[in-house]
Amino acid sequence: MKETDYDKIFSRFKGVESDIIPMLLRIQEKEGYISEEAVMRMSRFLRISENQIYGVASFYSRYRFNKPGRNSIKVCMGTACHVHGGKFSCEAFEWQFGVKIGERSDDGKFDLQQVNCMGCCTLAPVVQINEDIYGHTLVTGLKEMLRKYE
Amino acid sequence: MSKGKSSVSIIIDNKPFQVPKGITILEAAEQNDIYIPTLCAHKELTPFGGCRMCIVEVEGFRNFPTACTTPVSEGMIIRTHTAQIQAMRSDILQLLMSEHTSSCLVCAENEECKRYSGTIRKSGITTGCRYCSNDDQCEMQEVAEYLGAKEIVYPISYRNVRVEKEDPFYDRDYNLCILCGRCVRMCQEIRTANVLAFKHSGRKTVVGPAFGRTHMDSGCEFCGACVSVCPTGTLSEKARKWEGKPDREVVTTCSFCGVGCQMRLLVKGDHVIGSLPVIGDMVNDGQLCVRGRFCVNEMVNNYQRLVRPFKTYTDIRVEILWDEAITTAAEQLKNCPPDQFGMVASPNCSNESLYVAQKFARQAMNSHNIDTTARSYYGSGFNEFLSLMKKSVSLDDVRKADTIVCIGLDTRFGRSVIGVELRKAAARGTRIVTFNSRDHNLTLIAEKWLQPTIGHEAEVLEKLVALTKSGKAAAAPKLPADAGVSADDLACAAELLKASKSCVVMIGSDFLQYENSDHILTTIEQLAKNPAIGVMPLPAQNNLNGTFMMGAYPELLPNGCASSSKASRDKLGTAWKAKLPSAKGQWCESMLQQGSKLKVLYLVGETPHGDKVADFTIFQNIYPPDKAIHADLMLPAAAFTEEDGTFINGEGRLQKIRKAVEPPADTMPDWKILCLIAQEMGIKGFDYKSVKDIQKEIASIVPAFKGYDKPSRAPGPIKCDGTLTLSAPGVENMPKRSKKYPFLLTGSVVAHSYRGFPLSLYVNGAKTIFPEGVIEINDEDARKAKIKSGDDVIVESGTLKGHWRVSVIARQPRGTVHVRLRLGETVSHNPHAVSMRKNDV
Repeated sequence: MKETDYDKIFSRFKGVESDIIPMLLRIQEKEGYISEEAVMRMSRFLRISENQIYGVASFYSRYRFNKPGRNSIKVCMGTACHVHGGKFSCEAFEWQFGVKIGERSDDGKFDLQQVNCMGCCTLAPVVQINEDIYGHTLVTGLKEMLRKYE
Repeated sequence: MSKGKSSVSIIIDNKPFQVPKGITILEAAEQNDIYIPTLCAHKELTPFGGCRMCIVEVEGFRNFPTACTTPVSEGMIIRTHTAQIQAMRSDILQLLMSEHTSSCLVCAENEECKRYSGTIRKSGITTGCRYCSNDDQCEMQEVAEYLGAKEIVYPISYRNVRVEKEDPFYDRDYNLCILCGRCVRMCQEIRTANVLAFKHSGRKTVVGPAFGRTHMDSGCEFCGACVSVCPTGTLSEKARKWEGKPDREVVTTCSFCGVGCQMRLLVKGDHVIGSLPVIGDMVNDGQLCVRGRFCVNEMVNNYQRLVRPFKTYTDIRVEILWDEAITTAAEQLKNCPPDQFGMVASPNCSNESLYVAQKFARQAMNSHNIDTTARSYYGSGFNEFLSLMKKSVSLDDVRKADTIVCIGLDTRFGRSVIGVELRKAAARGTRIVTFNSRDHNLTLIAEKWLQPTIGHEAEVLEKLVALTKSGKAAAAPKLPADAGVSADDLACAAELLKASKSCVVMIGSDFLQYENSDHILTTIEQLAKNPAIGVMPLPAQNNLNGTFMMGAYPELLPNGCASSSKASRDKLGTAWKAKLPSAKGQWCESMLQQGSKLKVLYLVGETPHGDKVADFTIFQNIYPPDKAIHADLMLPAAAFTEEDGTFINGEGRLQKIRKAVEPPADTMPDWKILCLIAQEMGIKGFDYKSVKDIQKEIASIVPAFKGYDKPSRAPGPIKCDGTLTLSAPGVENMPKRSKKYPFLLTGSVVAHSYRGFPLSLYVNGAKTIFPEGVIEINDEDARKAKIKSGDDVIVESGTLKGHWRVSVIARQPRGTVHVRLRLGETVSHNPHAVSMRKNDV
């Protein structure tokens, strides 16, 4: 994000403490995540320390602090998926990209997230890539699945 | 307690009490010596109600309210330890302990273990399992003992997070954290530093700064307030680990800067093991900075202390006895003509030592050649600084001010107690203007940050002064185009000043070593001509005021009288029953740097400058000088924790220092050593039995010193009618950057020192926060010049050549570099245009 983008977002706010959450939302809408620079600029604007802003932001799982990849992989960890081995798909992705949950692969193509239920438990274990839902996934089939998005 | 509207009657544990209205149940119980276990409540902090340990039974309440958050009301019937409550507390404690490594607390052998863990050894005892460095000081331990916790029925869940040891001064083991939030509230409410916050939520909650940064990178001031309030061993001081409970506390005055905070020295056996602030004090009210909080014990307890007299025989230092040391010194001094004698005292010495030192020079040596190192520290602006100190307002005025202007002040590590005052003031609505070319910790609270380009400070200030006047005068000086401050910003700041009814200008030490510091300070003085504007210079030396009042300068006699006045000299001479020499042929400390040679140089609490500057150097200090520096006779002196005495702080408060421990081995207070030498020389008037005798004598000469026994500690600016003659006047020519010398260098001498020794030499953590021999450069300049942090660079100009280590920081303005000089180094011109290249060896 450029300086003007921040200015545009900030111009809608008065600069009081209660602006933190809506400001964070706008920034995440625009940039996809909350960067260190964004927190620094917010701190200057609101005159609240970066640490306090981060404390508020990290309370909510909605805010992310890592740059998202071009495609987002969501692995379901709900009860049904867990029973059917969703954990293994997740671990397989972690090994493949060498990243942890919530992070982005080195080439920037994918980012990995865990979600708790997608509401399609009959398809367990479920993996969602962007808007596509994949059911009955097997660890061995994941690589094939990703090929479409590369 | 008197009955009336302001009090309510309550019943606690079947006993009736009258307590003031509006307090909480916990406070009411504490006032009446009823124990309610707490972990998250702290008397300095707002109630939190997080640990649930203080639940009580109140008749008429459906549930069990927490005592720390429930206010008392008329007719309340409270029970604090019924069987049901104790059982619930025990459950809650077990839940806390299931996440807190506490095997020792519930160990079946706990009782027996305590009985046998005391063994007779030379070293500290460590028998038994000791997992936590905070053993015996842990509040959770107390609560566990009170509730008789024997087991943990809940599954143990170990967080297994890394112990954070990367920051100086304290370690953080969040495996022990019970999330009571004391440190977070301390950091946010009381210190207002806002470094600590709760991060994440639910089980993952942890305390710390943003983005997993270190405390060093997130603006922590290392005040240690969080460490003081931690009820567990999560936060523990590195230097005080495993020390256990202190035996006693001694209240004294911190001697690391001119603020003069009151602190409690924690003493165990014959060592000072730590220091804590005095709560409710009129100067620092429960606050200390990193130096007072963490540096005292390491500075005075170091194994490298000079504890016996030494004599140097052709570069070999030989330990001698006091008798021999005194005779040697007396012999040398007796054969020394008055004009060949020089004495340099430290502005860190107590008033009593300074008084005896100047009396020694004037009476025993018949010479006015006594000076302090403050002269070279303040350089050309010394006289102006003195005259500003004469007008200094006090911290009480700062608390009342509606506008505060900070000039060259950075309160992160130095004077962070003032920083807290400023942040509190800003929260009250006081408008703050800060004037500094580098980014610093006041920018977040300042309404206006005037950021002049380095070298243009005086002009910008002059323009500001002109703008506060009305009419023609406002338009007079023209602001240079590259001044760095826009006319609008300046006008806005001037408006703030004009509108203010009570304004305080605080002067930090960032510009004091500039060559034109006299110009900057004179301009500030003009600003202070406005009756609504008060000035508050913040001296870096704790007893600078005392050096003036005790007359530790060639130009000044005690009580600040000019030594050139015959009447003053005669008056003092009658009091001393001696004849004082006339003040001619003025010598001063800065002459030593210019290579003038003396027969005997006597350093009282100072380190020698450079090479051999005298035929015979008597060195009296708490540490031996560097091996490379020549000192003929070394006399071991006592540190401020080991002597009684007084200091006068920057605001002119007369404050006491108290002896906490006996001076180690053969060390003696400065005044005692001086008296012994004087007596050996056969000089009368040096037969003081104790500090009291000296204080009585000072009080008869210096009226402001009356009440030394029970100082009122009321602030009062110095009264001083002498002026200082300076060997080098200020330089005005602004160095120009050129293609050959593209960087503008500013230098600062070691600001954080005690008796001439930088704290970083002896205090472990201080090496990180007060680095020396480091040159700071902007990240963009560094990228262009292809240098990175940690590189060695050679900095050159026509008159300067230096080797320094690079530290890349974003806050350094572009095109400029700032060097933190090592002890004894100087920059010939400050600011200075230089070139810089990497040392490719």
